[in-house]
Parts: sequence; structure tokens; C-alpha cells
Amino acid sequence: MTSLRIFAIGGLMSFRALFGFMSPWIYIPTLVVTPLFQILLFVFIGRSAGVESDTFYVVGNAIQYSSVPCLFAMTFTIAGERFNQTLGPVLVSPAGRLPLFLGRSLPVIVNGAFVGALSFTLGSLVLGVTVPASAVAPLALVIVLASASCTGLGLVLAGIGLRVREQAVMLNIVFGLLLIFTGANVPIEQLPEWMEAISRLLPFTHAIEAGREVVAGSGLGDVSGLLLRELAIGVVYAVLGYRFLRFMERQGRIHATLERA
Amino acid sequence: MPPVVEAIDLHRTYRTTTGTFRRRSLEVEAVRGVSFEIAEGELFGLLGPNGAGKTTTIKMLITLLIPTSGQARVLGRDVVEDAHWVRERIGYVFGGDRGLYERLSALDNLRYFAELYGVEPRSQRARIGELLELVGLEGREKERVEGYSRGMRQRLHIARGLLHDPPVLFLDEPTIGVDPVGARELRATIAGLKAAGKTVLLTTHYMFEADALCDRIGVVAKGRIVAEGTPRELKERVAEGVVVEIEVYGIEDDRVEALRRIDGVTSVAVEDRDQAQVVVVQAEPGREPTHDVLARLDGVSLGRVTTREPTLEDAYVALVTEEREQVSD
Amino acid sequence: MLSQSAFDGLLAILWPLFFGTVAFFMFRAGGDPDTLVYASLGAAVMGVWTATSVSAGSALQRQRWHGTLELLVAAPTHFSLTLLSMTVATSTIGVYCMAGTLFWGRVVFGIELPLEEPLALAVAIPATIVSIGLLGFLLSVTFARYRTAWTLGAMLEYPVWLIGGFLVPLTLFPGWVRPISWALAPTWGMNAIRDAATGSGSAWPDVAMCVVLGAAYTATGVLLTNRILFAARQRATLSLT
Repeated sequence: MTSLRIFAIGGLMSFRALFGFMSPWIYIPTLVVTPLFQILLFVFIGRSAGVESDTFYVVGNAIQYSSVPCLFAMTFTIAGERFNQTLGPVLVSPAGRLPLFLGRSLPVIVNGAFVGALSFTLGSLVLGVTVPASAVAPLALVIVLASASCTGLGLVLAGIGLRVREQAVMLNIVFGLLLIFTGANVPIEQLPEWMEAISRLLPFTHAIEAGREVVAGSGLGDVSGLLLRELAIGVVYAVLGYRFLRFMERQGRIHATLERA
Repeated sequence: MPPVVEAIDLHRTYRTTTGTFRRRSLEVEAVRGVSFEIAEGELFGLLGPNGAGKTTTIKMLITLLIPTSGQARVLGRDVVEDAHWVRERIGYVFGGDRGLYERLSALDNLRYFAELYGVEPRSQRARIGELLELVGLEGREKERVEGYSRGMRQRLHIARGLLHDPPVLFLDEPTIGVDPVGARELRATIAGLKAAGKTVLLTTHYMFEADALCDRIGVVAKGRIVAEGTPRELKERVAEGVVVEIEVYGIEDDRVEALRRIDGVTSVAVEDRDQAQVVVVQAEPGREPTHDVLARLDGVSLGRVTTREPTLEDAYVALVTEEREQVSD
Repeated sequence: MLSQSAFDGLLAILWPLFFGTVAFFMFRAGGDPDTLVYASLGAAVMGVWTATSVSAGSALQRQRWHGTLELLVAAPTHFSLTLLSMTVATSTIGVYCMAGTLFWGRVVFGIELPLEEPLALAVAIPATIVSIGLLGFLLSVTFARYRTAWTLGAMLEYPVWLIGGFLVPLTLFPGWVRPISWALAPTWGMNAIRDAATGSGSAWPDVAMCVVLGAAYTATGVLLTNRILFAARQRATLSLT
């Protein structure tokens, strides 16, 4: 009961407390306008180069940009405790660590999926991309899964964020790598082989592929393999991330590494 | 009855690295052998200058740091082995204006920690109400913490530490940076906690605070407890002696050393005061060092010279400076 | 995004490379070597705009956080001059981004840049960088009243890349976008750099437009600064964080 409440209520509260993007002055420019322009940027590059269709870039960038809410929010809601100097009081509490850390990911996933879905909708409206009605529900599922699996990666970064001071720099670099490697704009088959191999281990790669197929008319059954792989990748990152956070907590007690903000 | 808090020869070393390219590792011994016991219902003070190791000691007792060596027990359980058990039964309050969720209201800050401490959902509202009243924040609880003054933040810290009604409380410099009136109110709250039967460990570097609140005091300097006793006992250690204060305008270190070598002088400290310094010389009972002191200050430009009885502050200064000399030797 | 450190510098260099890399892959797939040269020059200037737009958004805010805004305003040097030098200085960091992106394009993607008119290029590059810095100055003044100005600065990053014609020709956009492009100094600077490098036309008229627009930004920025500072002193909003 206690753990459930820490998971649900505690998670939501720390999201509100530590993720400053929720103010409309930050939310709208960062999570509504910018993803739309990223879609436009790559759609026009695509038109200029004469390669893929508009739909290709709308799906790819809407999903890839949800890494901003997922990665930044996940890192800030955990590593932000240190900057806020609330890490001590939180770690002194007897609260179970699994609900404490994982509870914070739930609002992050919901918000990330919202950003992904909104970017897709706005991008489609502006560019006149049409989606068959039957694809709406499967696409929503794809976006939620993508957001969840990226949040798993976010847990790993949150652990690293407990130690490095330049969290924003780290997150921007990861964002840039996802831009190149996940096939959001360049089909991964066109990447050199070693890059494609990395792509297969990242969140988003399979979700973007599934998203494109769904929009093209495939049913959920056709993309279930891709979605399972996306989910599995997310779960692996989440487990690694949680382990890593526990490791950082123990290290902090032994080496006093969490003390200095 | 066994002690509620027990520290047995606690040591804590920090390893820090300096330099970006050629990294050198540096070991700092923050706590070097601290032992004390606190009985049930007692308010024990750790008194010492900044950097003496007070906060590190507290962090070991509240399970945030693992001791490099030594042992600590709270309510009979080891703080390393039974960290979870101990965490459920202790409250931790630290000084300063950080450590709160700025974007949340005081109420939400308390609600969040009530969840973390597993306070029953049904009794949460009532408990938070009581605490807000106790610390005098009722009526302001819906405001965001970012608009709070230091004193209000400090009171919110205390309320947070009490949410789960812990029998043992650790207060780390709770009045630091709070204005005099606010600090007085905080001290009244702390005295109230003791009256309510809590066992309290308080750290402070304010003499009068320790004197007014604590049943017993451990004076910490350079990572060690250099004296322990009731405020009265500590005062008595120097009560028989005499203190001479000499205002000087510029004094060299070797002159101070010369003063220390005077027979019967127990401690010499120099405090800066505006353009001048004040040399505080403490001497053993029955000695009258004024004459010898002035003789050795020949040629130094002098101001007022006063002789008085020692206070707790003198006891503290004597203890802390003694320790410094021993360490530098 | 806000602090200044070695890591920020690293990001300033890497950031345009991420986008440049994606664009190079896309244009390479398109198969037209001319577009690859076009993109390479554009990607090189992208970093100048990123460094400027992000820091323009936060220039005043950073001073507020450090509590130094009031000191700067109270200093005898004209405040707009202080702000101007700050923003132009950041845009010159973009020189490293340019060099980095061109090097990356050459080494990884084998993009060989033509160099038809070295003299014009030697003038066009600094003129473009300074005019971008001046645009940053104007923005930092315009954003001065917003507490979250850094988001506005970052928000303008993609749009200017897009309508400044950094990666795609302006002819791809609907007609109503073109006047906005023309009002942006980077558009002309970008044109000048391309003309000078490929020899496809004379770079000098574009350089001149770049300079004229830069001067207009400066004049507007100075006027605005004076008005805003006066208002801020009246309403006591200088030290607000």
C-alpha cells in the first residue's frame, strides 16, 4: 500500500517538483513549437534532396523529439534532487527504492507520449499528411511504447546525472545521437553497418519503423515483432538504470560522492 | 537503560581529487574517533567550529554515510546493518535554506515526505495540520516554498523531520542564517521537542544556543570530541581561572607564541575586531598574568586592557584553540 | 544550455555536427553532389546561429542569476555596448563550429569545397558572423522582459536554419515566407558565402545587405535597450530572477 502510494502519488509529485518545463512559458516553445519546426526542417531537407516522403519525416521526428521530454524529465526528476539538495532527506527516508525511482517514470512516459502525439498531429496538419482512421489507435500505442522505452534510457542517464554536473550537455548529446542513429531521418539501412548495429540497440529505432508501417496501413499484428523488440530494449535499459541508481546510492554512502552539489 | 544513540570511535575519511589532468588524490580525515552516548529524552549538543566534523558525524548516524571505521547504534540497532529499521525511527533536519522543493507548496512538500515515510493516508491530513501549527506556518502552507523566508524554510524543515513522529531527532545547525527573533522561536520549538520526550542530537556553533538548550555538550574540534559534559561542568573547567583581554593594533605570530609560553597561561586566542585585534589570554586559577603579558607586548600599540571571569565561550575557545595547537605541532 | 564551461564548448561544436551528419546522409542519398556542397556550407554556419540564439536568450537572464545585471547597468559604460560585446563575442565562438563542420564534411563525407573568390569569402565570413551576433543582440534585448527567455532563443534555432536558407533553397517555401527571410541578415550572409565559394555570382551585394541589416539591428537594439532599462528602473524589475 505504502509502496503503491509512493509509486503513484510520490512519482507525480516529484515530477511536478523537479521538472520545470511544466510552465507554459517553457512547455510551449520547447515541447510544442520546436518539435514542429524539427519536423519542418527535415521535411524540407528531404524535399530538397528528393529522398523520402513527408510522412517518413513526420513519423520519425515526432517520435524522436519525444526524447526531449523523456530524457530531460527523467534525469531532472532524479538527478535534480542533488541540485536541489533534497537528495539527503529523500535517501534518509525508509521509502522503498523501487517505487521511489520507478514511480517517477510514469508521469514522464505520459508526458513524453503526449509530446510525441501532439507533434505528429501538428506536423500532419501543417503538411497535409493524412493517416487512415484505422491507424490512429495503433500509432498511439507505438508512440506510448516509444516514450516508455526512451524513459528506460532516461533512468540510466539519471544515474549518470547524479555524478556529472553538466546534465543538460549530456542530454543534448544523447538527443543528437538519437537523431542520427534511430532512423528518424536516414533509413538505418543507408547507414554504415556498424552504425546500423548500434541503431538496433537504441530506443525508438523499432518504434519509428513500426510507426511508419502502421501509418502505411499495416495492422498491429504485422508490427508486433518490432513493438516487442522496442519494449524489450526499454525494459533492459530500465533495469540497468535502476541497478545503476542503487549502485550510485551505495557508492554515495561509502565514498560520500553524493554530498557535494 | 541502554543509550538511544551511541557512537563508538567513529572515523570518516573523504577522498578528494584535485587537478584536471594530473589528478592527485587527497585524503581528508573529517572525523577521527568520535564517541558519545545519548540517553532517552536527552538533548545532546555537538558544539564546534565550521569544518570540525559535526555534519559528517550526523550523516553517519542517520545512515547517509558509512563510517570508515567505528560503529554507531540508534535505539540499539547498528546504523549500517539495520539502515532501513533506523530510518523509520529517526527524523533529520538540516540548516540552511536549501533542501526543499521550491516549486511545491509547503503542504505538498510535507505530503510528499509523508508518503515517503509511509504515514497512514487517513491520519496524514491531521498530522500535517498539527505540525504546521507547531512550527507556526498555518495559513501559509498553500504558498510555494520559493517565496519563503529563511526562518519559514527552517521551520518547514523541522515539520518535515517530525512527520512520522520519530522518537529520535537529528538537528544539524537548525538556526544557521536565521534572524535573532526567528532563531529564538526555533529554539523554543526545539525545547518543546525535548519536553515532549524526544531524544535530540543538535549541532551548532553558537555557544549560547548550546548553553540554553542542551543537557550535555560534546565540544568537537578537528574531528574529535575534546570535552564533554553539562554546560555547567564545561564552564567550571575554566571558572576558577581568569581572562585578560588586551586590545592591540597589529600583532605578530611570534608575540602570540611568546604569550603562550608564559607560566600559568592556558590559552591565547586572537580575534579580529574592526581595525584592531583582541588578544584573549586565559590563565590558571590563582594566577594574575596581566603583568607578564604586558611585559611581552612591549612595543606593540595597545588599547584597552580588561580582566574578567571566564564564560562558556572562553571554555569553548580554550578547548578549540588547544586542539588546534596540538594538531599543528 | 545555460552554464558556460568546457562542456558547453564541446556541445557547441558537436551540435551542428549532429544535424550536419544527418543532412549529409540525406543529400548523399539524393545523389546530387552540388546539394552536398550547398549543405556543407550551410551546416557550417548553423553552429554560429545556434551559439548566438541560445546565448542571446539567456544573456540577460544569466546576469540576473549571478546578480550582476544591476552592477552592469550602474557601470559608466553604456549598457547596450556591454550587451553588444557579449553577444557578438558568443557568435564568434561559431568560428570553431564552422571549422569543425567543414572538417567533418571533408573527412567523413569527402565533401570538397570550391574556393573561387578567396577575398570575397574572407570578407563574407566575418560579415556573416558579426551580423548574426548583432541579430542576437537585438533578440536578447527584445527578450529581456521574459524570465524564460532561454526557451525563446532556443525556439528560434530551427526556424532561422530553415528560412535563412542554410540547408534548403528559399524557392522551396511558400511566397509569404520570403520577406521574412530577406529581413534576416544570415540569409544574405549565407548567400554571400555560397557565391564567394562557388563563384556562382558576385558576393558583394549580399555582403552589403548583410552589413546594412546588421547596422539596423544595432540601432534598433540600442534604442530598445534605453527604453527597457528606463522602464525597468522605474518598475524596479532589474534584479528579478
